Amino acid sequence: MKSLLAIEWLKVKKYTTFWVLAGLFTVLLFAWNYMNSSGLLKLAGPNNIGLLTNAYKFPEIWDNVAHWTKFFSGLVAIVIIILTTNEYQYRTNRQNVIDGWSRSQFYNAKWLLVLVMTVLITVYTFLLVLIFALTNGSSMSDMGAHAEKLLYVMVMALDYFSFALTLSFFFKRSGMTIVIFLLYTYIIEIIFQQLLNWKIAWKPGNYLPLQCSAELLPFPLLKTLKSITGLAASGPTDTVLVITTIAWIIIYYFIGRAKLLRSDW
Amino acid sequence: MKAVLSINNISKSYGPIQALKGVSFDVPEGSVFGILGPNGSGKTTLLGTLLNVLQADSGSYEWFGGMPPEAARRQIGSLLETPNFYHYLSAVDNLDIAAAIKQRGYDDKTRVLEKVNLLERKDSKFQSYSLGMKQRLAIASALLGQPKVLVFDEPTNGLDPAGIAEIRELIRQLNKEGNTIIMASHLLDEVEKVCTHVAILKRGDLLLHGPVDEVLRSEDVIEIKAADIHTLQTIITEMPGIRQAKLSEGTLQLACADTISPQQVNEYCISKGIVLSHLLLKKKSLETKFMELTN
Repeated sequence: MKSLLAIEWLKVKKYTTFWVLAGLFTVLLFAWNYMNSSGLLKLAGPNNIGLLTNAYKFPEIWDNVAHWTKFFSGLVAIVIIILTTNEYQYRTNRQNVIDGWSRSQFYNAKWLLVLVMTVLITVYTFLLVLIFALTNGSSMSDMGAHAEKLLYVMVMALDYFSFALTLSFFFKRSGMTIVIFLLYTYIIEIIFQQLLNWKIAWKPGNYLPLQCSAELLPFPLLKTLKSITGLAASGPTDTVLVITTIAWIIIYYFIGRAKLLRSDW
Repeated sequence: MKAVLSINNISKSYGPIQALKGVSFDVPEGSVFGILGPNGSGKTTLLGTLLNVLQADSGSYEWFGGMPPEAARRQIGSLLETPNFYHYLSAVDNLDIAAAIKQRGYDDKTRVLEKVNLLERKDSKFQSYSLGMKQRLAIASALLGQPKVLVFDEPTNGLDPAGIAEIRELIRQLNKEGNTIIMASHLLDEVEKVCTHVAILKRGDLLLHGPVDEVLRSEDVIEIKAADIHTLQTIITEMPGIRQAKLSEGTLQLACADTISPQQVNEYCISKGIVLSHLLLKKKSLETKFMELTN
C-alpha cells in the first residue's frame, strides 16, 4: 500500500496543475472564511449587520467552516478527475500495468489518493476552525460541541472525491468528466432532489449520491431561517445520512472495480 | 528449447470483428521472435492480451512456465503500440516511475538513456520530445533493469533511417547476450534481418509459425530468359524437378525442387539447343512469402 502511494506521489510531485489547483483551494477557502469572519458579508441597511461574524466562534464555527469546505471541495474533486483522466490521455494506465502493476493495484492506488485528499481536507478544515475560533476570542474548552461536523466533512469529501473518481473511470476524458461532474453536482442532482422530495413524504431526494452527504453540512443560516419560519426539515437524521453516504461510497468502489477489471484498457 | 511464453488458443473479438481466432504458439528462450501481419491483423491485440491491457474472450497464456502474470510483467521490458509517459515529467522522472513499478532498475537509468542517445535530454519534459525521441525513451524504459525478455511492438516507429539501424543493431546485440525478443512488425525487411523465428497473422488467423529458415525453406526461385521465351517455357516445363514455370515481365520464374541448381537448368537448356540470355537464383524474400500468404 505504501509503495502504491509512493508511486502516486512520484506522479504528482512535479505536476504544476496539481499544485496550482491545490494552492487555489487552500488560499480561497482561507480567504473566504476570513472574509466572513471579519464581517465583510453584511446585510445592507443603516446598521450594517455582519451576517456571519458571530458564527465564527465555538460552537457555530464548526457548522460554518465545514459548510464552506463543502462549497469549495468541488475544486479538489476536479484535481482528482484530472489526475485520473490524465492516465487515460497519456495511456499511462496501460503502461503501469505493462510494467507490472495488476489492474487492481492501479485502481487501489487511485482510491488511496482519494483517501489522502480526504484526510488532508479534513485536517485543513480543523486547522481553519482552530485559527478562526481562537482569533475571534473563543476558548478551547468550548470546542467540543458540534465537532461532529469534522467527521461529516470527512464523509462528504470521501463521497465527492470517490464519485469524481468513479466518473473519471467511466468517461476517461478530463473535459467531459469535469463538465458532467459539475452539471450533476450543482444542477442535475438538485433538480432530482426537488422532484423526489416534492410529493413523497420520506424525502428520497435526500438520499441521492451526493445529496446525502451535502445534507450533513447545510448553509448555517438556512437552518436558522427554517427554524424561524417553522419549516424545520423533517428529513433523515445525520446518522442515517452518514450510513447512506458510506453505502454509496462502497457502491462506487465496486462499480469502478468491476469496470476496470473487466474491460479493455 | 524451453519456452518463455506459451500461447494457447487465444481468441478475442471487438464486437462483430474477430481480432484473434484461436491463436497458439510457443516462443523459445533466446529467440528473436517476429510477429508479422498487415495492419489490422491482430499483432497489437495479441501483445496487448499477453500484457493484460486487453482481455481475451477465451484461451490462455503462460509466461516463464506459469509465473504469476504481474511478477512476469515486471521481468519483461515492453513497448506496446505508443510510448506512454507522463507528458509533464522529464525522462528521468518517468523512468523513476517505471522502475518503482518494476521494483528494479533504479540505478540503471543512465545506462539505458545512454544506450538510446537520450542522456543529454534526460531532464527535458517528455512533451518537448520529437516522435523519434519518445520512441527511444520507450525503448530505454523497456531496457530498464536488464530484463531477459523484451516485447517490442513496432519498435522502429517514428525513427529516422539511422535510428532504425541502431535499433536493429541493439536487438541483435541484446539477442547475442542471451535475451529473448518478441517483436511485432509490418516492416518485413526489419524482421527478416533480425528474427530467428516468425509467426504470421492475417485477420486474426495464425497462418504459420516457426524458425525463419524452416518457414522460408525450399522457396528459392530461378529466373531465366531467352530470345524465344515461349519455346523456352515449353521446353523447361518438361525438365524433371521443375514444378512450375511462370512467365512474368518477360522472364520465366521457375519453382523447382531443392535439388535443382542454376547450373543444371543451364545445362538442360543448352542440351535442348537454347541459349539463355539471363540466369539468376533468387532467394525468396520474406516479403514475397508474406504477400503470397496474406493476399
